[in-house]
Amino acid sequence: MTLLSVRDLHVHYVTAQGMVRAVDGADLEVPAGSIVGLVGESGCGKSTLGRALMGVLPATARIAGGSIRFEGRDLVPLPERERRPLRWRRMAFVPQTAMNALDPVQRLRTQMLEVLCERGGLSRPAALDRAETLLRLVGLDPHTLADYPHQFSGGMRQRASIALALALEPALVIADEPVTALDVIVQRQVLDVLRDLQHRLNLAMILVTHDMAVVAYACDRVAVMYAGQVVESGPVAAVLEAPFHPYTMGLTHAFPDLRDDAAALVPIEGAPPSLLAPPPGCRFAERCPFAEPNCRAAPPPLATVATDHLAACWRSAAAADLRVRAMRPETWAK
Amino acid sequence: MTIEPIPVIAGEALAKTFRLRQRTVHAVQGVGLAVRAGEALGIVGESGCGKTTTARLLLRLEQPSAGRIRFLGEDITDRHGPALLPFRARAQLVFQNPFDALNPRFTIRRSLAEPLRNFGIPRAEHAERIEAVMRRVRLLPAAAWLERRPHELSGGQLQRVVLARALLPGPKLIVADEPVSMLDVSVRAGILNLLRTARDELGLAAIYISHDLALIRYVCERTAVMYLGRIVEEGPTAALIAAPLHPYTRALIAAVPVPRVAQDRAALPILGSLSATQAAGQGCAFRARCPVAMPRCAAEAPALRQVAPGHRVACHLVGA
Repeated sequence: MTLLSVRDLHVHYVTAQGMVRAVDGADLEVPAGSIVGLVGESGCGKSTLGRALMGVLPATARIAGGSIRFEGRDLVPLPERERRPLRWRRMAFVPQTAMNALDPVQRLRTQMLEVLCERGGLSRPAALDRAETLLRLVGLDPHTLADYPHQFSGGMRQRASIALALALEPALVIADEPVTALDVIVQRQVLDVLRDLQHRLNLAMILVTHDMAVVAYACDRVAVMYAGQVVESGPVAAVLEAPFHPYTMGLTHAFPDLRDDAAALVPIEGAPPSLLAPPPGCRFAERCPFAEPNCRAAPPPLATVATDHLAACWRSAAAADLRVRAMRPETWAK
Repeated sequence: MTIEPIPVIAGEALAKTFRLRQRTVHAVQGVGLAVRAGEALGIVGESGCGKTTTARLLLRLEQPSAGRIRFLGEDITDRHGPALLPFRARAQLVFQNPFDALNPRFTIRRSLAEPLRNFGIPRAEHAERIEAVMRRVRLLPAAAWLERRPHELSGGQLQRVVLARALLPGPKLIVADEPVSMLDVSVRAGILNLLRTARDELGLAAIYISHDLALIRYVCERTAVMYLGRIVEEGPTAALIAAPLHPYTRALIAAVPVPRVAQDRAALPILGSLSATQAAGQGCAFRARCPVAMPRCAAEAPALRQVAPGHRVACHLVGA
């Protein structure tokens, strides 16, 4: 069952240089109870997309088209007074640095009670009870309720921030780089907490990240973004093992694998196009070793390339051959 | 018997103590390291383990509380100011964040000429040296880049300029503190490959500081794992990753996610987090989080002992 379905979403920023098409026709599906990784480079629009879903875009941004269907309703035309009750209750946000979600000089108890009582309408004793349950759920000692977030370690803060997001039992949690700032052992512990919550609460989650290894470890599905668009999506196993988009193929050789004996790493030369005036054809064509003249003429649609697997590439019929060529470093040399 | 060449940089029993208002923080304790020409050493560990402080001590950016630092055999621990200038030219740092490592108002040419001027390299040589280093970091044609300012370059391009600037004075030692963590995944490999090539071709000694063991594996033959200010294990990178001996190294390796679908999701053999165990007192600093700690671990700190050629471990359970 689909919990969230984003269709052809456009989000524009007004800047001094002109209009930036940060999200430019993005499609995304989140089935109920599954963790979807949203990966891409800085500036690809993944964080903007996350914020648009939450309805917390900055004042300079606006949704210029498309739909966000969540629990059967399109959120785009909803006025703020109808969006507001959805936040925390139906969808919640975990930011990259937990200090953005937690007030460092207010006891954790005060902050959790505020959400549970004022937003959730619980009585104070019921809210305290629930707060303790939430902390246990994320692996924190309930005694930390009396502590101030500035006393917490990075991992504890991130756990507290997740507990706060779960306070009113949302169906969807959007986490923006929730483990990027954490050390590897704590990162693993927080990812294990997220997976455990998914199973226990049947929670759906969008995990915004730049790290393919985090996606492989923690996610059921993945959507790869490039220059404002989702260029490939599907189950993690399918996308990682048999990618159809050359950008995804390139990414899988671009960073080291601890368990794999030092095969040469191959960078994807170049940089994504400016989103002030994106090129008319495929946005990856400039960096793509397999681009043909017609790739630059028209944008490829996000189309079904295998069961439950979408990709936006004019050459997806030749993917099996391209995958073999993408494994050779000389293919990517410029 | 072969005679080992003199290390380019060597730290002996290095310690650094910071005094905060009430408490004393032993950021680095009894660290000994040596890196030879053409060799790359990785230092890994969690934030707060002392890896960056160790690098700053070796670069003489921080005065050690105890211990000696030798550069090409010469003791430079007590040198200061102008007496350190020749060392500064030959021991260079590659900064973590290329977005704030360059003056935004300077052209790339001026940013590159600055160290040449500071280290007294004759003006007549500047253009030629800059041209050569731009070739080395593959920013070509050089003329197309030199008149630009940092805001016109991408993160990967900026980091190439930062690397070029570090290579310009002709260093013998390069220290890179998280050299790619601020960069996008697709361009990281380009910088790592450049660092590898520069080290091989110029015979540099290199030290990489990172929390990312996979990255260290790619660029370093030797790795030192630090925990709360001490080296707990040091050895050939391949051996250390294939068969880690210290319980902390084992946990660190088990925690690294791999970009593949089939992977081990077994529970981590470690408890709690760093902050919970800051005050370790005597005994092994890792014992509070260690799954195999014994009574002896609380009584006595394990010494860093050689267990195989070039492989040292500080654990009572290893090699005893």
